[in-house]
Amino acid sequence: MSPSTGDLIQFPRRAAGRVVDTVGSTITAPVRAIWPVHSVDDFGRDPHLIGAVTPLAKLRWDVTVGGLEHLPHRKGALLVCNSRRWSLTPIYAALALSEACGRPVRFVGRPDIAPFGPLLRRLGGLLAQPADVLGALRHDELVLLPTEPTAHPRHAGAVAHRLLGPAVEAGVGIYPVATMSSALGRTARAEVGAHVRPRHSRRGPLAEVELAEQVQHHLQRMLDGFGGVQTGVAPLDWLAEG
Amino acid sequence: MLVSGMGGELGSLVAAKLENEPWVGSLVGIDVDPPRRRLRLAEFHLLQPSQRERIVEVVTKFNPHVVINLSVWEPDARAGLAHARQFTADATTAVIGAAAECPALEGMVVRSGLEVYGRGRNSPTRPDETAVLHPTSEYGKMLAEIERQARAVGRRVKIAVGKLRLAPVLGKHVPSPLGRVLRQPVVPFSALADAPFAVIEDGDAATAFVAAAHGRLDEPVNIVAPGAITALQAILRGHRVPLALVGPEWWLAGKLSHMVGAPIPDHVVELMHRGRLADGAKAGELLGFAPKLTTPEVIDHLYAWESVVRIGSVGGEIEGVA
Repeated sequence: MSPSTGDLIQFPRRAAGRVVDTVGSTITAPVRAIWPVHSVDDFGRDPHLIGAVTPLAKLRWDVTVGGLEHLPHRKGALLVCNSRRWSLTPIYAALALSEACGRPVRFVGRPDIAPFGPLLRRLGGLLAQPADVLGALRHDELVLLPTEPTAHPRHAGAVAHRLLGPAVEAGVGIYPVATMSSALGRTARAEVGAHVRPRHSRRGPLAEVELAEQVQHHLQRMLDGFGGVQTGVAPLDWLAEG
Repeated sequence: MLVSGMGGELGSLVAAKLENEPWVGSLVGIDVDPPRRRLRLAEFHLLQPSQRERIVEVVTKFNPHVVINLSVWEPDARAGLAHARQFTADATTAVIGAAAECPALEGMVVRSGLEVYGRGRNSPTRPDETAVLHPTSEYGKMLAEIERQARAVGRRVKIAVGKLRLAPVLGKHVPSPLGRVLRQPVVPFSALADAPFAVIEDGDAATAFVAAAHGRLDEPVNIVAPGAITALQAILRGHRVPLALVGPEWWLAGKLSHMVGAPIPDHVVELMHRGRLADGAKAGELLGFAPKLTTPEVIDHLYAWESVVRIGSVGGEIEGVA
């Protein structure tokens, strides 16, 4: 049935509108070719940017990932990794774990100041705030929380118990991730450990305080299991042991 | 059912949807502009926000069971900041105050926005409804005041008060400063931040209001389309020319944009610099509400300007033909 005249209003397309479209398309075509107009996810993580950055990250770190069988397939989890000072551990570990398990892994600890904060948010960074961590865990996301950074590569720093609280509240598992990287070499490792279960059932804030100590202990045991530095030159290995 | 703000695009959509609901008896609307859609059942009163006594008279005479308050003037959408602030304050006082005088009143649903959370340093990236309200823009402060007044009345007369915190509402005919800025030929964006934001389509927002009124919602709920987008991504999707700005030149860009008819209020600048995301999961749990369009789809619709608009009948049959 053809519509009657009264049913339709015809808005003529303005010539100016066509000019805007043409000029805009021409100018932005090269940009769109190299930077497709993908959107970011609900938390601001940009899979396209990560896809572009990953090859560069692989030039710096050759990460061996292990222990993925411990991670839940669909549910959220809080992963806690050790961190060596200035090593960018959360970034390379999150990128490597994401690629290995096929799920986005977000890391905690981006600053909230431009331009680094927004850039790290696009790489999957969350603020070191319980609300941000809880929001992600409630939506079944994998969140990587670094410990306090240490100078020694095989020492696990203290775990911020206020950031473990969201995992207790959301009822998700906590998994230690032992990481090791070299300041000069490309070789790096990220090993996921088994689910850390609390020794005591607590109703109050002691739950996360005790869990934080337990996770640090687990991490330290895993790092001890990695063994020392193995360059093939014994004196260098002894020196590296500090 | 009483809809305050029925003349706006969102109010007209809400009214059209309410007319199709079997649980809605009589429907009365008030606003400063006549409804933008053909309504079959609604009774409309053309009233200025300053006509408080007349508003009180109309509302109390009707004695509604539910009031939906959409009388919110977003700065630089239909009025400048000073007028928007004044109109919103007047309308809120009159409508919420009048509603409190109605003995049959069971519930009230008020329009609010994600701007109430504010975007201060270290504020949550994706706040849920439990986040502390700390508005950092004029519009956010206006909305927080509406929530405060509605909450106070709710406690006093013991009615359910639902607060729908909408993401920026976009649609082809919605007067929105964000939509207007994004549709300019050359669109500024923050080169250092290019922060992600979420939006909601006007039809989805209207659906949420109907669901909230039906369910006698009694708490705040975020209404957000799934997904997010950055200003640069939106600009490229719309085939506009991006203009990267880093700081002080935002002032000049704002003035130029104002001159060409697309003023950039502080809450839009804040959105471009700091982003605006929110957790919308609670809307699904409490209202059974799921937006039809994702954020990137809403942005695509914003740019898909129609050549023909079908205005045959209102309600679900309204659709644009590209």
